[in-house]
Formats: sequence, structure tokens, C-alpha cells
Amino acid sequence: MSERAATPVEAPVEVPVEAPVEVEEPVDEGKLVADRIWIVIVWNDPVNLMSYVVYVFQKLFGYSKEKATELMRQVHFEGKAVVASGAREKAESDVARLHAHGLWATMQQD
Amino acid sequence: MGSFARTEGGLRVRLSGDEVEVLRRLASELRALYDAEDDPVQTRLFPRAYLDPTQEESEREWQSLVHPELRRDRLAALDTVVSTLERAAERPSGREVVLTDEEPEAWLSLLNDARLALGTRLGVTDDTDLDAQRAAAGDDSEAAVYEVYGWLTWLQGDLVEVLMA
Repeated sequence: MSERAATPVEAPVEVPVEAPVEVEEPVDEGKLVADRIWIVIVWNDPVNLMSYVVYVFQKLFGYSKEKATELMRQVHFEGKAVVASGAREKAESDVARLHAHGLWATMQQD
Repeated sequence: MGSFARTEGGLRVRLSGDEVEVLRRLASELRALYDAEDDPVQTRLFPRAYLDPTQEESEREWQSLVHPELRRDRLAALDTVVSTLERAAERPSGREVVLTDEEPEAWLSLLNDARLALGTRLGVTDDTDLDAQRAAAGDDSEAAVYEVYGWLTWLQGDLVEVLMA
């Protein structure tokens, strides 16, 4: 892992005329991890009704009935489905709303 | 058997007197469960958000932020359902009440949580044959739990169907 140069480099007096050369920034892996998108997963459970799960997906995420049904089927037959993704705060809020409706949801980085 | 129907004034619920009593009892049992410690039902109703066990700190922060609100909203839903049961009018066929505004959502919350609680207690899995389990139940009270679970399943399915129509 590398950071920016510790010793400040003096700014050049001459202003370059040509387009600036793209400099490859040193890769900060910690930052890459922090920036990685968060996904919200709903897990299969034997109690929640299929129709109810479709209803909740439509209500919370504004999905069409077709999309909500597809996600529900994925949860039921494959054991889980990614139902939403985005910044960490959004994922935290989505998980809370799913829990409020009794769905078993977790979040993780993609 | 209880049922829901869309009417001009809102969502009409019809229940027998016995069904009203079962819902009242479930509401009071859920009230106690929301505060129960180390109970598998509690774990199911308020699960983890962060799957990764190394993210304990994030999980704790999230729980401290969200749990009081989730608990409060669930308690408010119970209060709402109980208040709708109290205003249910006597009819020759049983009791009747019209739900408006957020009241149907409060009913969904109670019905779903009650099913999650009973389903967890009964150890329901995808392969559970509820009719066979009920027939094989050791005593009447155990059979009654299966019966209530089946009734809640029917009632919630009916409510969802009416809400989605």
C-alpha cells in the first residue's frame, strides 16, 4: 500500500500547454474496499408467505410485480437473492426496513 | 372464518368472537416476546444486519441505532390492531371493523410476526407437512398451536391478496 509522496514537490513555474498527462494514482487498497458497493441479501425462510414477500419487495423498493416475483422466486429456490445495492448508509436503511417487515436480510460488500 | 374485503370506507375485516380473542392473546404474547432475551424468536424477529462476524462493531452500532425504532414500531402496530379489535362491531355473524390508513399495515405486522414466532417455536421448515404434524401432535394444546398457525397463514394470505388487488 502506498500513500502520496511524503516530501512536497515544488510546483513547476511553467504551465504546461499540452493536455495534462494522466498519471496513474497509487492504488490504496483500503480505500478500494471502503468504496466497494454494499449489497442487501434476503435469505429464504420457511415461514414468510411468497405473496407477502412479493408485496414487501414492491412496497419497499417500488419494483414491478414481475421483478418482485422474480426476486421472491430466486430467494425461495436458490436460498437467497440480492434485492438492493448501493452506499453503506442506504444498505443499512434497506436492511432495517426489511427487518421491520419480518424478512431475513443481511448486508455485505460486493 | 375471518376474512378481509375492500369496501368504500376502507378494508373490512370480519372475525368470529373466538378469532378476536386469539388475536388479542397473540398481541399480548408478541408484546412480551419483543423484549425477551436470548430467545430464538427474538433472534428471528430482530436478526443481524452484518453477516460477517468480523464486523461486530458495525453490527453493534447498527443495532443500537435501529433496534429501538424497530421495537417501537412493532409495539405501535400491536396497539393499533388491539384498538381496531376494540371498535369491532357486533354482527349476527361475528365482529366487523373497517380498517383505514395505516391500520392494514399494522395488521400485516402482527400477522407476520405471530407466524414467525409460532413457526420458529414449531420448528417449521420448507419440508414441514403441517397437517401431518398437527395430526401427530402429542396433546390438544400442541395441536391448537398448529391450528392457530394455519389460520394465521390463511388470514395473512387473504389480507395480502386484498392489498395487492
